[in-house]
Amino acid sequence: MDSAEQSALTEALDRLWARFIPQIEERVAVLESAAAALNSGQLSVSQSEAASAAAHKLAGVLGTFGLDKGTVLARELEIEYSRVGGLDPAGAGRLIEMVAGLRAMIESHK
Amino acid sequence: MSHRILIVDDEDDIREVAALSLETMSDWKVDVASSGAQGLARAIEFQPDAIVLDVMMPGMDGPATFRELQKNPRTAHIPVLLLTAKVQSSDQRRFADLGVKAVLFKPFDPLTLADQISSALGWE
Repeated sequence: MDSAEQSALTEALDRLWARFIPQIEERVAVLESAAAALNSGQLSVSQSEAASAAAHKLAGVLGTFGLDKGTVLARELEIEYSRVGGLDPAGAGRLIEMVAGLRAMIESHK
Repeated sequence: MSHRILIVDDEDDIREVAALSLETMSDWKVDVASSGAQGLARAIEFQPDAIVLDVMMPGMDGPATFRELQKNPRTAHIPVLLLTAKVQSSDQRRFADLGVKAVLFKPFDPLTLADQISSALGWE
């Protein structure tokens, strides 16, 4: 692999990451709202579906920018929000922690 | 050798990273489309050597787009690689059974995406 090409790509990826941060943070916000709604016993089916879709997109993209652990966490959240029959509000605390972990990873990558 | 690649994905971040990766690391000519319908049109016009096609898209998804590409004599010969964030083995088998050349997984490594595609298509 040519190191000049590699370094050019890395620099260009950093610029793309900076450009897409707002979109990525919007997806995290969807997850945060859904976790908060679950915690208050008001998570709707459409909100859960939106959270599952947001987690799926985050799982696909975070590792591409080098955040492999972010992809793992997003995949776990996608599975949680895709549960047939809905989520148990008792698990809201865990989801809130997972989403907070995801946001912290993204913040530290800025 | 330079190749022509069409990337079809509704997520603009993935589309742009993939295009950047292939253009920078391999000097391939890349075209992009943000939906299955747009992908069909671009495939006819651009006549790529291969298509990287996202599985989950609103409207016409990846498998449906692949079937349409197969039906059209102007695109049926173009090899297709599905791109998916689904990791369950049942999904992988289902995608492989469609008749695509390969299934690539998100997240991909931008440094090696071109190598993955080349390897899947026997371009090495």
